[in-house]
Amino acid sequence: MKTLLETAGLRKVYTAGKIQIEALRGVDLRIREGELVAIMGPSGCGKSTLMHVLGAMTKPTAGKVVIDGQEISGMGDNELTRIRRDKIGFVFQKFNLLPTLTARANIDIARYIHGNGVRSNGHDQHLREILQLLMIENKMGRKPSELSGGEQQRFAIARAVANQPAILLADEPTGSLDSKNSEVVLNMFRELNRKFRQTVILVTHNPELAAFTDRLIEMRDGVIVGDNDSVSWDTESELAQPAPSV
Amino acid sequence: MNKQMIIAGLKARPVRTTVSLLAVALEVVLILVVVGLTSGISDETGRRTEGVGADILLQPPNSSLFLALSNTTMPIVLRERLRELPGIKAITPVQTLVNSSAGLEIIYGIEPDTFDAVSNGFIWHKGRLFNAPDEVVVDDIYAKAKGVTVGDTVELVNHKFKVCGIVEHGKGARLFISLKMAQEMTGQTGKASLFFIKLTDPDRVETAIAEIKRLLEGYGVIPLREYARLMMSNSMPALDAFISSVVFIALCIGVLVIFLSMYTTITERTREIGILRSLGASKTFIVTLIFEESAAVCLAGALIGIGSSFLIARIIMAVFPTLTILITPDWITRAVIFAVLSGIIGSLYPSLKAAQQDPVEALAYE
Repeated sequence: MKTLLETAGLRKVYTAGKIQIEALRGVDLRIREGELVAIMGPSGCGKSTLMHVLGAMTKPTAGKVVIDGQEISGMGDNELTRIRRDKIGFVFQKFNLLPTLTARANIDIARYIHGNGVRSNGHDQHLREILQLLMIENKMGRKPSELSGGEQQRFAIARAVANQPAILLADEPTGSLDSKNSEVVLNMFRELNRKFRQTVILVTHNPELAAFTDRLIEMRDGVIVGDNDSVSWDTESELAQPAPSV
Repeated sequence: MNKQMIIAGLKARPVRTTVSLLAVALEVVLILVVVGLTSGISDETGRRTEGVGADILLQPPNSSLFLALSNTTMPIVLRERLRELPGIKAITPVQTLVNSSAGLEIIYGIEPDTFDAVSNGFIWHKGRLFNAPDEVVVDDIYAKAKGVTVGDTVELVNHKFKVCGIVEHGKGARLFISLKMAQEMTGQTGKASLFFIKLTDPDRVETAIAEIKRLLEGYGVIPLREYARLMMSNSMPALDAFISSVVFIALCIGVLVIFLSMYTTITERTREIGILRSLGASKTFIVTLIFEESAAVCLAGALIGIGSSFLIARIIMAVFPTLTILITPDWITRAVIFAVLSGIIGSLYPSLKAAQQDPVEALAYE
């Protein structure tokens, strides 16, 4: 299977006043196309920072990140924006639907941005199938405030995958949901992965969530401490050379 | 899609949207009504002066086109020399006075016979011409505005006058007394503030003006058909400065309000901006969105302002019939441009600030 995402020697340092916080301390990671992966670890272990770097939301302090064949660590803001627009779909713990827009408009705005300002009619069949899968077709006219938490998260997922991104990144997607809705949402991720071969990376501190995934990567103190990847790699790493240190 | 987002954003914050709209509307009203009032009064005065029906206005040296501001006079005997020029049909001397007890009114002291010869006479609504020094003829607008009719007494320049007649407006002033009385009141016996000159052939105006200028060097000689235009142009630098000041203040109001509105908008919507950035929206997209929202507020506010200006103008003119507010397409266009300009200037910093926000920090904003 094709390597979709790869990091080498990934480091991220935040500066708060005179204090430097090393959130990522050399992360080496490879994720294949079509995988359903959970990145798990306690709060503060750097998993959200990793998600932001993998999602081209922020640049690493050092190290390399290759997303779908493109090395992003040296990219400027415009190029990172393009990567987010073309390759990434985000799902957040707090849903992050635009509150003034209807659920339909929330999806439309993602497609509009993806179409670079042009209203897109493409992907309609794909979107229909997604909406059917998520069972939210009949609530498209509602505003986020008129939806339950589970419904909001399902719309957030629909928005994230509406443009068929290479990678779906979900940061604590069940963190604001009750157990019943959590299960529904997690099943949706699994269905998306199975049915559409959508690459999904779930970031969580919840061990129960890991049971829904094929692969579990464990993090602690900014480094990967465990990976139950059972499939052998049939290609060499593109980032075989060690990354420069900070 | 941007339109949908902008409308939804504006609807979601109705109080701020309303205040912003009203502030922009106020900016436009301030421009249109104040400019309309100043230019309206000048234009109406100009047209009224042109309405005398003369071809040439003659004033003593160093006189102002604003007749109310002129206190220079010239001997009436000059009329005899002017009559010797070819093509002069009629000349009427006028002594102007200013009544400032209730507003600013020009009173014409006239010679009825020669004034009629130049202006083809008054159109009478009521009453008759003055027979006595303490009688005054008023025009219909003044009568309506002051609620006076024939037989009533009005006080002008500390003198009591009895209204003896009401005439159709449009013949120079709104109040007419005898020239002799006007001369006595101003202490300018045998003198006049201006001459209205009627030619036998109106096409000879330029030639006649040249001849008068040769005869009376340094005197103000202007064709009356250009009076209004001259009043509104460079002859009134103080008015230009006043209008510029009003426009500048209005623009400042607009800029500050839009700045405040857009600044609070982007602060309130930091998280939304983060969401858009996470979806792949570029900085340009964010800047454009803020600009478009501000432009929408400014254009809608400008429309409200234009409508309100016409309404306010009607109310003012109904309450004060002697006032004229001239709202021209030219100034409407300028007011809209100023409103949009204030939107652009006011939203420049907020939009750039919004675009510069770090997506991760913006998403973490509570």
